[in-house]
Amino acid sequence: VTEAELRRRLTQPAPYEEEAGQRALEVVRTAFVEGERVPRTKRRSRPAIAIAVALAAALAVAAITPPGRAFVQRLRDAVGRSPSEPALVRLPAPGRLLVDSAQGPWIVQRDGSKRLLGSYDAASWSPQGKFVVATRGHSVVALEPGGEVHWTVTRPQPVAQARWAPSGFRIAYREGSSLRVVIGNGTADRLLARSVAAVAPAWRPGPVNTLAFVDTEGSVHVVNVDTRGELWATAPGPPLRELAWSADGDRLLAMSRGRQQRIYDGQGLPVSTIRLAAGHVSAGASFTPTGRTIALTDFDPATSRSAIVVVDRGREQTLFKAAGRLEDVEWSPNGRWLLATWPSAGQWLFLRTPGVGRIITVSDVAGEFDPGETGSPSFPRLAGWCCS
Amino acid sequence: MPGSGDERAWVRGAQAGSASDLEALFRGHWPRAYRAAYLVVHDAAAAEDIAQEAFLSAVRAIHTFDRRRPFGPWLHRIVVNRAIDWARARSLRREIGEDALEGTPARPEPPGHGLSEEIAGALTGLSPEHRAVVVLRYLLEYTPGEIASLLDLPRGTVNSRLRRALDTLEGRLEEERP
Repeated sequence: VTEAELRRRLTQPAPYEEEAGQRALEVVRTAFVEGERVPRTKRRSRPAIAIAVALAAALAVAAITPPGRAFVQRLRDAVGRSPSEPALVRLPAPGRLLVDSAQGPWIVQRDGSKRLLGSYDAASWSPQGKFVVATRGHSVVALEPGGEVHWTVTRPQPVAQARWAPSGFRIAYREGSSLRVVIGNGTADRLLARSVAAVAPAWRPGPVNTLAFVDTEGSVHVVNVDTRGELWATAPGPPLRELAWSADGDRLLAMSRGRQQRIYDGQGLPVSTIRLAAGHVSAGASFTPTGRTIALTDFDPATSRSAIVVVDRGREQTLFKAAGRLEDVEWSPNGRWLLATWPSAGQWLFLRTPGVGRIITVSDVAGEFDPGETGSPSFPRLAGWCCS
Repeated sequence: MPGSGDERAWVRGAQAGSASDLEALFRGHWPRAYRAAYLVVHDAAAAEDIAQEAFLSAVRAIHTFDRRRPFGPWLHRIVVNRAIDWARARSLRREIGEDALEGTPARPEPPGHGLSEEIAGALTGLSPEHRAVVVLRYLLEYTPGEIASLLDLPRGTVNSRLRRALDTLEGRLEEERP
């Protein structure tokens, strides 16, 4: 091969060059525009440097004692981690993560900095990520990602699993075994259904306030919340653990605690079933934000091994296998990354899709969301990756 | 490849906050940056990440960039070094027998792209370091002296890598010819 021939061959376009360029340009342009809004760092004066040195020395001394270490840890979590931290440094795709931990929900920004929202049991995003709805004991609370509370609804019984409708105008939540709906400004709280299972209700994507929920008999109900009209319901069945709609609102995944995971169409007809191997269970599943592809975890208790499986139009593809239990899965808002939690390894896994072009692991996740090292045994749960 | 006058103007514009100049800079350099990454890692998704991250690094540092200097070598140094790191990490994963990726089918290559699979496949027979010098020399048109500077290598090492890479490539391409 001559040098001229080699040159000629190498300068031809590579696969996906054009479309990859379009995607990358969006990311780079956004980063540039956002960066431009940030004022450039002013040159530090000598007194400021002296103060910084003194502060660093004081922190170093403080960090020697246990209370000092706890303070430094809290300070570090309040201001975000330095780029040299081996732990969570940066999300690989645009958006913000909501994470439920024993101390409360956290918001993780794209640059890896994070903020504890407060002492709430669990939280979920509003459709545009401008607000968060959280639950604590008997209260449903709407707050801004910065922590400012907008309103609170308090009920006689404990509340849980609040979910904001895609329209932004309704929030559904469970109070004991009842399902209630409140308007997005915290008014007109009312009962929607009794005898519901401990499964989070799922809003159908679209402008109409349509909600799916599970009753204590294992039936899935889909109702128009504003007219209270039931659109369809399934026959009673085995206990379910999770409901999830596809982005187009035309598929509903009903995740059971057993092997069979049913998928219904928009009219309630079962269109397919994902069958796990005998004895296997799934702890988490998620539709891609741009289509009908489903990612789910598949755990085999007999061998204590897990896999992440992607199902697309009936075809199953194993993306990742691991020892121990993989639990939650969450797609990035642009559908290009999949985040899975791996409690037995104490890790998060970011998998680049389609296929697995790249894997980013984040270690010591429990410690990341347990500042002050209180030693909480629970592993943080994913509560949403928002928004594109 | 953009002319040096255009490039300086785009860098100056981007430093002043012009998104359109940044876009022009991106469009001028993306094809070669992506192709260079692809030829080293032979994985479209990884090449996209590597080239995109290189541009993001450039965006973050654009205000400190000396616009009397060409933008290309600055970007290409980041791209090629990251691509080498990625390819090394992948071969390490294979060596330690990680079974996590078993069953992961490769993404099918789209029809119609111009890069011959023959040459891309032949390059995979080289080490990442040898692929990198071939890409820098014959795609990005750097001299051996410039490559030595970009990769922090002695010039003699660059020359010997180029010679060995060409010999290996020639052998592999001969084998694959019908």
